[in-house]
Amino acid sequence: MNENRELLEGLQALAALGPREAPLRVEERLKVEFRKRTRRRNLMTWLPTSSIAAAAAAVALFLWTHREKPKPAPAVVAAVSMSGVPAAEEDTIASFYPLPEAEALPALENAMVVRVQLPVSSLQLMGVPVGEERAGTSVQADLLLGQDGLARAVRLVQ
Amino acid sequence: MAAKIWNFFPRQTESIAKADADRPNQLMLESPSRSDGDLLRLLSAGDEKAFLEFYRKHQGFVYRFALQMSGSTEIAEEVTQDVFVVVMNSGSRYDSERGSMQAFLYGIARNFVLRALERERPYITVLDDPAGDYAAQMVAEEDILGDLAQNERLQALRKAVLALPPSYREVLVLCDLHERDYAEAAITIGCAIGTVRSRLHRARALLAEKMRASERCAV
Repeated sequence: MNENRELLEGLQALAALGPREAPLRVEERLKVEFRKRTRRRNLMTWLPTSSIAAAAAAVALFLWTHREKPKPAPAVVAAVSMSGVPAAEEDTIASFYPLPEAEALPALENAMVVRVQLPVSSLQLMGVPVGEERAGTSVQADLLLGQDGLARAVRLVQ
Repeated sequence: MAAKIWNFFPRQTESIAKADADRPNQLMLESPSRSDGDLLRLLSAGDEKAFLEFYRKHQGFVYRFALQMSGSTEIAEEVTQDVFVVVMNSGSRYDSERGSMQAFLYGIARNFVLRALERERPYITVLDDPAGDYAAQMVAEEDILGDLAQNERLQALRKAVLALPPSYREVLVLCDLHERDYAEAAITIGCAIGTVRSRLHRARALLAEKMRASERCAV
């Protein structure tokens, strides 16, 4: 019993001896290690982000350079003389006929009406009902152009 | 009545030293201390001040545990560094429901100490005094006290502790030198409380035996 008590006292004395703190050099080494790891972690965080950003920029650049060029107005339109027509002056004879390929185009946000001289045969190609007897002549028509410069619809003036 | 084989005089400084065991150091007192959970979260996010605060709060017992287990300041420094490297890498994995922060850190330190002891074993056996540097630090303190006889007995006790098998030594260091309770020691070691109790009993018996043998040699 006494022996056990003395042993415990001895252990208490032993516990009180020796250094109570790690040397300062351990803290210094850990500080260096911590900074190294923080730098590495930051790099690992930014690397994927910057890679994604770079990839996104590359895709955007590719799309920009390879984007679909605005389709020229139908050949028949390019061939005719064009003149701007204020909407107020529209001497509407008939309503607009939507062009067959217009459905595939983006929705209309801004529009412009351009008056042109069109061969009747091209109107027939656009699906506008025109009599066969006038196939060799030309008529005045208004083209409805969208924000992309592509024709959406046509109407006859004469 | 059993023969008196050693005689330790409890000193006034002991109780102060015990109270100091888990005391945050002076730097910690200068700033309002944050909880371990807060510090872990901050240091995981790369906050160096939080890491240093956490380190200064806990390094003392980790270092002493490693030193008392190994008897080598070199191993103790290495283990302390390794423990806090683990904290900076995966401290966020700490689960307070599975035990205290101290038990968590003791557990990591224990694994590193056992690994180091295993690695160093072939070299330790050829040395006369495997804990020469640790002993030197103790002698310096003891010389101030001027009690040579007590110092010799403490040296003998220290050597006896270091000569215990690691499974007994770790229980003795945790429960008797660091005043951890059985439950906390069991969490640290990863065994049942009953195992801690029986190992501690056996460790003390072995220690008493070694001290008796040491006393006989001295005579």
